Amino acid sequence: MKELRFRIIMIAGAIALSLYLLYPTYQDSRNEKEVVAKLSTYETKIKKSNPAISAIELKEKITSIKDSILVNTPEYKSAREKRMKLGLDLQGGMYLVMEVNTAKLLEKLAKDPDDQFRQILIKAEADSKMTDENVVTIFARYLKAQNIRMSRYFGSIREEDDDIARKLEQQETDAVTRAIEIISNRVNQYGVSEPSIQKQGSRRIIVELPGIARQEEAKRLLQGQALLEFKMVKEPDFAIGIMNKIDEALAGLNKFDSSAVKSVAAKTDTAAKDEKLTAEQFAKEHPFFNLARLIDAQGRVADAFVKESDRDQISAMLQTPEVKNVMPDNVEFAYDAKPEIGDDGVKYYRMYMVNKEAELTGGVIVDAQANIDPNTSAPEVTMQMNNEGAREWARITGANVQKRCAVILDGQVYTAPTIEGKIPSGSSRITGSANMEEAKLLEIVLKAGALPAPIETLEQRTIGPSLGQDSVNKGLMSTIFGYLAIAVFMIFYYKKSGSFSAFSLMVTILLLVGVLAGFGATLTLPGIAGIILTMGMAVDANIIIFERIREEMVTGKTIKAAIDSGFKLSFSAIFDSNITTFFTGLILYQFGSGPIQGFALTLMIGLVTSLFAQLVLVRLIFDFMITKGFKINVG
Amino acid sequence: MRLFDNLHIDFMGKRTTFYILSSALLLLGLLAIIFKGVQFGIDFKGGSEIALQFEKPVEIEKVRNEVDKLGLGNVEVKTFGDATGVLLRTELQELPKNVLLKVRTNIESVMTNVYPGVAMTITDSSTSSLTYTFSDPQTASVINNRLNEAGYQSEKVSEEETNTSISVRLGIADLIKEDLSEKYADNPFVVQKEDRVGPKVGKELKRDALLAIMLSLIVILVYLGFRFKFTFALGAVLALFHDVLITVGVFVVLYGVIPGFNLEISVSVVAAFLTLIGYSINDTVIVFDRVREQIKIHKTLPLEENMNLAINRTMSRTIITVFTTLLSIIILLIFGGEVLRGFAFALFIGMITGTYSSVFVASSFVLEYAKRAGSKVQF
Repeated sequence: MKELRFRIIMIAGAIALSLYLLYPTYQDSRNEKEVVAKLSTYETKIKKSNPAISAIELKEKITSIKDSILVNTPEYKSAREKRMKLGLDLQGGMYLVMEVNTAKLLEKLAKDPDDQFRQILIKAEADSKMTDENVVTIFARYLKAQNIRMSRYFGSIREEDDDIARKLEQQETDAVTRAIEIISNRVNQYGVSEPSIQKQGSRRIIVELPGIARQEEAKRLLQGQALLEFKMVKEPDFAIGIMNKIDEALAGLNKFDSSAVKSVAAKTDTAAKDEKLTAEQFAKEHPFFNLARLIDAQGRVADAFVKESDRDQISAMLQTPEVKNVMPDNVEFAYDAKPEIGDDGVKYYRMYMVNKEAELTGGVIVDAQANIDPNTSAPEVTMQMNNEGAREWARITGANVQKRCAVILDGQVYTAPTIEGKIPSGSSRITGSANMEEAKLLEIVLKAGALPAPIETLEQRTIGPSLGQDSVNKGLMSTIFGYLAIAVFMIFYYKKSGSFSAFSLMVTILLLVGVLAGFGATLTLPGIAGIILTMGMAVDANIIIFERIREEMVTGKTIKAAIDSGFKLSFSAIFDSNITTFFTGLILYQFGSGPIQGFALTLMIGLVTSLFAQLVLVRLIFDFMITKGFKINVG
Repeated sequence: MRLFDNLHIDFMGKRTTFYILSSALLLLGLLAIIFKGVQFGIDFKGGSEIALQFEKPVEIEKVRNEVDKLGLGNVEVKTFGDATGVLLRTELQELPKNVLLKVRTNIESVMTNVYPGVAMTITDSSTSSLTYTFSDPQTASVINNRLNEAGYQSEKVSEEETNTSISVRLGIADLIKEDLSEKYADNPFVVQKEDRVGPKVGKELKRDALLAIMLSLIVILVYLGFRFKFTFALGAVLALFHDVLITVGVFVVLYGVIPGFNLEISVSVVAAFLTLIGYSINDTVIVFDRVREQIKIHKTLPLEENMNLAINRTMSRTIITVFTTLLSIIILLIFGGEVLRGFAFALFIGMITGTYSSVFVASSFVLEYAKRAGSKVQF
């Protein structure tokens, strides 16, 4: 009995763990039903206000609102985050494979492209499509064949062709990195949940934008050049004065102080008093500062930290007419591109108040380089501007010494260093990066505004949310029917033992799905097909064993002996058949992408859990029945 | 309940029948592949594929006529799911030149409607978009809006205030969507799915698929070579080849025969083949395992008789295991939906031929080899 108990505990433990890991998914589906019920009233409202809307458009609209609610509201958020990850084909979303258009990059980098250049480039591009060789290599070959040096179009006369070719290839890789940064930046701004942007090989980018497939907006993310701007950060006195006014306007009061200095002084006094207020009272009396916590309580720096989840509210606040009244026309708020992670794991974004108008735009930057300052051993970024930019920059820096200038890419701040002094030569050093990584990021950003990263889309797949939902439903239905069909057959053909088999099949699937949830693996439609297939294959092991037991019983062995030898003799056949399927599963995982990988994964995990369930669990049940003296029959 | 108990059929004696049957199927398949050609999906060929969901049922013929008028050449139009769904597929990556010209004229006429005689230059043209530059940002902005209202996909090149350029997308999907939304104004549709695969990706996928299949066959050959002797491994792998070929043959023969049944070779169909390879070897292993056991027990019996005994004894097990797996696949075929249909069908055909070939073809091969080689076949 003791060894029975051990096995019972092990299996019970495995089942319990799976249930625990799957609970958020269950919770999430319950939440979803709740939200849909709540939205039905909203749906009628939409129909009333927009009677021309088609049923299909309405359905898509409601689905995206529902998804958005489930992702953002705190009470539903955790279940949604911890639930089983669904692939794009089940969630809806966009999948893109993009590649740097090297030919276009070369054209933009060339010093003096003439017709001859363009012709050779077109030939090189056409060739690379056939042979899959790098455009740079082919282009270099053509130039050499015509006895033209690379330095005619790139680099300087002193450089060797090979060196230039290598530098160009480096430019290509850099372009990919830039493109990834730009896309990540923009994707984050749109608030896509769980986006995935990855480099593949040296020239490709794989982008997955799951959830709400806002096609038109998503397409816009990948188009167009990045906008790099330099905007002055407002002085602390001024900024805090405005923020106070906003705060008061929101709190329902309308105190207009005549001088900014007085209000700062007044606020620093009340700040001391504020500490004695409770959190609730603080929220009521200072709605703005409650969400935008000043970094420096003394107000020497006017930046504030805003929680990621509060950003929407701040936007809403800034839209209210009362706040718009007190904000000057020429300033705006801007967020950091990268958040800081607080001790509580929450993402905080730094918020700055900057001039709306940019002093300078990125077109004037010629080059940027991240390196280590030899004197201080601190990371820094050197930036070079063209003549026009240098002149402007000299003027701007001269007029704004000791003020901060924010470097903004596509509307997000990457750094806001203080201007130490006038910079006449157009070559600046930006310090203040925490580490080399940050410096590298800044280098990418500065270049992104100046240099293009022309990318083209090689592959694009978009799945609408309703098709995704449809697939989920069909998948679920097939799984249930599949299980019933197989279970009924097993019980019918193998009687009591068949019912053991049916039970262990349920455990197999439970463990399989539990493992998927536990490892954060993604479930795709082929993945569901894999589950169904696993069901069919899982009972194979049992069938082999049961048939063997039948045979052994015919030779006259006792039921216990027949079971023993049945299990033992079948083991090699079971092992062999599962191993080969496992191997092909591995190969499939390597070869396939996204959905197919999902299939391979469920197949392989299913094999393992089914072996466990069929060999251990069913054996356990048999042993248990024998020990307790119950009758067993194998059909 | 017992089926197939106490079977005593002389399978190996009848093996000529199997040879004939297999050869016939293979020949049929080969002929179909040569004359009808294998239909690859856009995963491999490259192209565009759009699935539209209309509110009310549509007549496929009408949609087909509409799309034909666009001059895009060969565009497949079929039902997708039920009568309200339409699937459009074309091999084209980009608009053909004459269509491009027409679209450009249309776009420019919209512009001149807004500002007659407006000055514009085309500063960039790619396979999927045209970039126009105007003399001032205001013009660009207004024209951009007007184009969007007219249903074109137009965007400003940059958000800067000094921006004077706009980029108009010229995708095939865009053109089709534009046209259909005009012609079917009373029956609005939503795009359920839109796929665009470039030729480079398609080529790479073909190469990867072939590699994967070859690799699987080799891995299995090696593995079986270890578990049993080489002759067996070879026989088993040949049976697998036979299965894949016949399944592809069935796909090709039935392509287009059953309306609404999407039988092109897509990535998921290839995945089904790979799964087949891994699974179908199971039956072979079960039979050979038994043959090996039989030989150990009855050393003096001729190989043919041992094989027969083994097959007869394992028939019950073979049939029932395949039956349960087929059950699950049939459920998938019926309830799994449009997207998985090709995949499920490939598995369905493949498993049936797989069982047949593992039991009969593989063993026959080994038997023939043993008879020719004369020597005692080692296991």
